[in-house]
Amino acid sequence: MSALGGPKQTGGVQPPTAMGLVISIVLIVVALALAFFLVQMAGLLALVGIIIGGVLVAFGVHFVPVGGAPAAMGQAPGIATGVAMLAAGAGLAGLFGGAWAAPFGLPVALAGGAVGGGLLMAITCTMVNVIYVFGMGIPAASGKVAKDPITGDTFPEYKSQGTEGHGLPFISWVGGVIGGALGGLGGTLIYLELLDVYQAQLPVLLNATVEQIAPVAVSLAGIFAVAMFLVNAVLAAYNITGTIEGPHDPKFKRFPRAVIAAAAASAVVGFFAIALLELVGVF
Amino acid sequence: MSVKIEVGAGGIPHNQILIYGLVGSLVLIYLTYLNTITGTQYFSFFGGLAAVVALLWGTDTIKHLCSYGLGTGVPSAGMIALGSGVVAAVFGATTGIFTPIVTIIIAAIIGAVAGVLANNVVRMDIPVMIVSLIELAIVGAMTVLGLAAMACGTFEFLGMITGTAVILGFAVPSYEFSVIGGSIIAVIFMLGAIAIQHSFNACLGPGEKQDRTLMLAAECGFLSMIPVAIISFAFIGLLPALVALLVSIIGWIYTYVQYIALSKRDAYAWLDAKPILEPKGGA
Repeated sequence: MSALGGPKQTGGVQPPTAMGLVISIVLIVVALALAFFLVQMAGLLALVGIIIGGVLVAFGVHFVPVGGAPAAMGQAPGIATGVAMLAAGAGLAGLFGGAWAAPFGLPVALAGGAVGGGLLMAITCTMVNVIYVFGMGIPAASGKVAKDPITGDTFPEYKSQGTEGHGLPFISWVGGVIGGALGGLGGTLIYLELLDVYQAQLPVLLNATVEQIAPVAVSLAGIFAVAMFLVNAVLAAYNITGTIEGPHDPKFKRFPRAVIAAAAASAVVGFFAIALLELVGVF
Repeated sequence: MSVKIEVGAGGIPHNQILIYGLVGSLVLIYLTYLNTITGTQYFSFFGGLAAVVALLWGTDTIKHLCSYGLGTGVPSAGMIALGSGVVAAVFGATTGIFTPIVTIIIAAIIGAVAGVLANNVVRMDIPVMIVSLIELAIVGAMTVLGLAAMACGTFEFLGMITGTAVILGFAVPSYEFSVIGGSIIAVIFMLGAIAIQHSFNACLGPGEKQDRTLMLAAECGFLSMIPVAIISFAFIGLLPALVALLVSIIGWIYTYVQYIALSKRDAYAWLDAKPILEPKGGA
């Protein structure tokens, strides 16, 4: 429950509507077909990579312990800010790491992105707990489970009355790092796929060398990776509706909905990003 | 269904703002095309004004959407708006004279996809979701396009990726010294995102008044125009950039003074705090 009042928290998970599923599948297929039609096999493969990246981002967001405004008041576990902000932070840190490592090849760059995102979340989660424990004087206690699945610590005796738990238990810390790593990995994958497409097309289009167009290709791929990252992260945030404690939270079971939505959204946005240079000079 | 958070009643109807915002930003962006027609750069600042008009409209849309309580905070709506908007804006920019119209169409497609996914797959089930996300994507796209046009004097893609660098006294065309090649587009992205998400986030709650919120939106828009005007010194002539800077600063001062006046009007009471003067001869 956010301070602003969220949509009603239903007990079970409402499955996607049939129309929603059909529209998602149609959108993905149409986007893949158009990408193949416009940019041939390279475009198709790039779009598949972008869809995988988008799905990783949306899935990763569900691991991150998001507390929102209640966490800032010590009334809910998690990091005291919104999903979009946390996801943007982890994703951008991952993207910087991955973009820096891009010349070393795909595996190193992807690992760099994952390490960047995971590292940012590790530092954030640690400092959040330092502030909670030493600044606000509250222990870490989850409200959703009685025992930490990893350390076996028990929570109920530490949980204050009238709260949903507080602080950042170890399982949430682990979830945050996994979420940051997945987000960084996904964002970097989107960036690298777009960079490949632009580095292949821009020199032909502008009659220039790869070195000359590098700033434009890097900048375009970077800003589009950020844009797609944010679209997917916000869709995942809408799926979570407010706060989540991490992988042990019952809300985590909702992730298939976000994965479907992110795949379709990435396909559409990714298609426009890949087809960007097709219209240059036509008008 | 959902808990409504409090927004003020009355004021200008949303549909009227929608029409003013759409037509206003379209006309103002096209006014920057006078640069190309007349061969000067003095009309660049109209791009920033288009962004301000779009931001006014977007703030009212966010107010409508967030009154349903998304549970993720107001900024997430601004993030998805700019995320889908920047792709549409750069894609649209490749179509020459048709840029603003193509941008609106592409943004509407991306916004509609995101809205359908949010309602049917993620199951937000918010009645105004699809329309609002379409509007927000268009707002985001027009903001990015307007500010980018203000920075480099044109809304065409080739103008955005080419600039001139002076090496040993010779002016040579360069892709690095351009709005996209220099990653200025990323700065514009964040300036637009901050401007669109701040106003309603700051003004929401009991006693929210439309004119005050919209005045803050205009203030944020002019505030974002100031850095873009300073950036534009690098891309357009000295005098046109000075004109743009002057317009932004005058607009910002005017809207800021008006906003403070409106805040005092709506406040129960206020204290005109004065600095504590040092007593003569020391304390």
